[in-house]
Amino acid sequence: MTVGHLSRRKLLAFASALPFLPETSHAAEPTIATIDWGLLEAALAIGAVPVAATELLQFRKIAVEPTVPSTVADLGLRGSPSFELLRIIKPDLILISGFYEYQRPSLERIAQVLTLPVYEAGKSPYPLAQHSTLALGERLGRSTQARDYLEQTEYDLANARSALAKVAHRPFFVISLGDSRHFRAFGADAMFGNVLTRLGLGNGWQETTNYSAAAPVGIEALVQAPEAFIVIVGPLPPGVSRGLDENALWNALPSVREGRVVFLDPINHFGTLPSARRFARLLTAGIESLPHG
Amino acid sequence: MADRSLLPAVFWCLLALGAALLFGLRLAELWPAGVADTDGVDLSRVILIYSFLPRAAVAIVAGAALGLSGLLLQRILRNPLAEPSTLGISASAQLAMATATIYAPALMEFSIGTVAFAGGIAAVALILALTWRRGLEPVAVVLAGMMVALTANSLSAALILANGDYLFSLFIWGGGSLVQQGWGPTISIGLRLVLGLAAAGLVLRPLAILGLDDQSARNLGVAVHASRFAVITLAVWIATTVTAEVGIIGFIGLAAPALATLSGARSLRQKLIATPLTGAILLWLTDGLVQLFSGPEGERVPTGAATALLGGPLLLWLLPRLKMFEWPSVSASTAAVNRAPRPWLVIMLIVLSMLLATGVALLVGIGPQGWQIASGEAFNDLLDWRAPRVAVAAATGGMLGAAGVVIQRVAANPLASPEILGVGAGAGAGMALALVFGATLGFQLAASAAGALTVLGVILWIGARAGFGPERLLFAGIAMNALCSAVLTAMIALGNQQSYTLLRWLSGSTNDAVAFDGLISVVGLVLLTGPLFLATRWLDLLPLGSPTARALGLHVGYSRLVVIVLAALMTALTANYVGPLSFVGLIAPHLARLLGLGRARQQLAGAIALGALLMVLSDWLSRMVAFPYQLPLGIFASLIGGPYLIYLLGKGVQRHG
Repeated sequence: MTVGHLSRRKLLAFASALPFLPETSHAAEPTIATIDWGLLEAALAIGAVPVAATELLQFRKIAVEPTVPSTVADLGLRGSPSFELLRIIKPDLILISGFYEYQRPSLERIAQVLTLPVYEAGKSPYPLAQHSTLALGERLGRSTQARDYLEQTEYDLANARSALAKVAHRPFFVISLGDSRHFRAFGADAMFGNVLTRLGLGNGWQETTNYSAAAPVGIEALVQAPEAFIVIVGPLPPGVSRGLDENALWNALPSVREGRVVFLDPINHFGTLPSARRFARLLTAGIESLPHG
Repeated sequence: MADRSLLPAVFWCLLALGAALLFGLRLAELWPAGVADTDGVDLSRVILIYSFLPRAAVAIVAGAALGLSGLLLQRILRNPLAEPSTLGISASAQLAMATATIYAPALMEFSIGTVAFAGGIAAVALILALTWRRGLEPVAVVLAGMMVALTANSLSAALILANGDYLFSLFIWGGGSLVQQGWGPTISIGLRLVLGLAAAGLVLRPLAILGLDDQSARNLGVAVHASRFAVITLAVWIATTVTAEVGIIGFIGLAAPALATLSGARSLRQKLIATPLTGAILLWLTDGLVQLFSGPEGERVPTGAATALLGGPLLLWLLPRLKMFEWPSVSASTAAVNRAPRPWLVIMLIVLSMLLATGVALLVGIGPQGWQIASGEAFNDLLDWRAPRVAVAAATGGMLGAAGVVIQRVAANPLASPEILGVGAGAGAGMALALVFGATLGFQLAASAAGALTVLGVILWIGARAGFGPERLLFAGIAMNALCSAVLTAMIALGNQQSYTLLRWLSGSTNDAVAFDGLISVVGLVLLTGPLFLATRWLDLLPLGSPTARALGLHVGYSRLVVIVLAALMTALTANYVGPLSFVGLIAPHLARLLGLGRARQQLAGAIALGALLMVLSDWLSRMVAFPYQLPLGIFASLIGGPYLIYLLGKGVQRHG
């Protein structure tokens, strides 16, 4: 415990000093652009603000954290970013994940390209995110910040774990709703699934998942574990909450009748460590706000 | 003869029995055998009552409702191809819902059904307004409908791409799902179905008369326009309710009336009974099969797309077997257009506009400081990016235009095009299968070419067996298109890396084009369209039909094969770069013809230049309009070409009085 306290104090002091560090101390640092959202999160988390990133309108609505400064240029869609704009901005380094490997030939004509894994089939995303954050820190000369961020995240998760210990006897369904009839479940191989494990909670979704989230499933699949908590990750499409109120099957679920449903604000489904922390924090707050915990 | 006429009835009874069997199997599995959980709530009974039973019920009523809607529309518009999907009603309802979801969520909270109806009725109003001067002539109506459907689909895709969690939305968007958790949708659709049937029964006589032409109907004292609008509104209301409750269920509205007719329903009264029944059986059986093959981790194919997997082959199989259609031929009145007095001047003008568009696309763009015209070093720099894109766009546009001319001439059908006959989708299905095996680019190209060739071959073979009846050919094409699209949807629904590749491919983009791609497509254009110019005599003779062409000394089978292979190769190559949905292959040949380029050589040259012009413009607009967000290429091709095509169609008729 003492060790945790010490490192936390050191860490907080460091974190609060971060924004005030003089620009010159990073003068040699390369300017970066990111195509992948998870790597945008990771870069911001270690204090490296990219010059350009993709789909920022959507990022600010869905991923929310970390806050993207207004100086970051929006390159457009992740799947087809504007290479012309990127060419004019001319960063020193472009970050992509395996998803966007097909863009490499075009991107390499602009700047050096660094591929860091964010999601890979059959690999747990949390350790992968740790690995990529460290690798990014090393590449940008921010290894200390990266190590500190990893530590800070572990610390947050440990805190959340003890706060959630009282509900740990129940499994958790973590889902997102497509409409009022279908959900997508986050299995053991999703970031949310990884975080559940680290929080000492069981995942209610035991089926295999694909790319860390299953194809849309009917609400009736939630019947499998009547004792579970249902955690709904935002955003909620309009009309869905009314649709749920009118949904006879939903209302018949023991979890719903007994008030074990938590709605969370939007979180990036394919995020890295900042998303993991945001999920743990929102989940803890959500559970604690329930009348009987 | 009596036993022969019973055959269809036996066939449908067997299908219904199959659906009931699937239903029974699941029922036996679910039957609550006194299993109660600790809370004392019988959860399997909850599933039975609120999920399983309403799902079967909604399949039956939605299938019947779509069949009825299709029947009414076909009757009123005297058009065997009219139905909620071909007229763009479902797509527009979907677009209205997607738009409201993003820009006016309060409307969606208020009433999803009303939003969907507004979208559907707007589509029909637009189509009627566009084709009114043509007297709602079937070809014009279906052309307008397909334009509306395509544009609405592209716009929905753009909205989803620019605003949302697209993988998830696209799954639901790509095909309706019948998953139920209550009786609301069943009651809502069932109510419209009963009202629709009652209303149709009431206006049975006027409805029968409306099947005649306007003059006869007016002579018999029917208020033609008022009754038409009333029945159309009813059909739209039924169809959009289905879209609002369960999403887009393709194919039933087209297939059910056709299959009912093919199975021997003759009088309108018989059809009013047989069509909803056929639709209900089709959808119930499809959904039963979807559930049979679904695992605990979800369904592999959305029911809305799976209808094509079942209905498509069924329609293809029945099509050549039976005589059908009392409607006027869809190709009856599109033939005559004035020839341009100086065709090569027209072609020169098109080429000039194309060069102008190319210049704009190379020079003008948006940068961090807004609009700018590139010059000097910046121009050289940006040329690296712009030149390959413009080259790919122009070459693919040209190839699609040429492929369209070939297909329209070989099929002797004004509505035939690589997009509508599903040749592009066939290329996609071929590529999808290649992707499963993790193939290299060369293998993917070969597979997509094989896919395109297979589709085109099958359709033309079916068409040839049926004596190239234009309706039959289109039916076969739409069925193949739906079939290949269903394969694509199923692949995308798998949600893996290949799905991502396919999604990107479907939306069509020249964004990733590098110099090599530009080179390949220009070489492709030259190599594949070059031989066509040597074969323009074939293209002039083939539309006249085999006997005439043969009498004029043409080796029909051989010449047909050569041009078809060329068209399939061009479609596959272009689909690889710009996706299957550009519609340039439909629009460019028509525009060329309507501008007075009648002979094969002139039409070919005109269509290539027009295709290139359309595609370069669309590509440039798709990059500029929402900069830096890039929109799908197909939107602008149909937005520019579609209305102009409809305008020209109207003009063509007026000129001839």
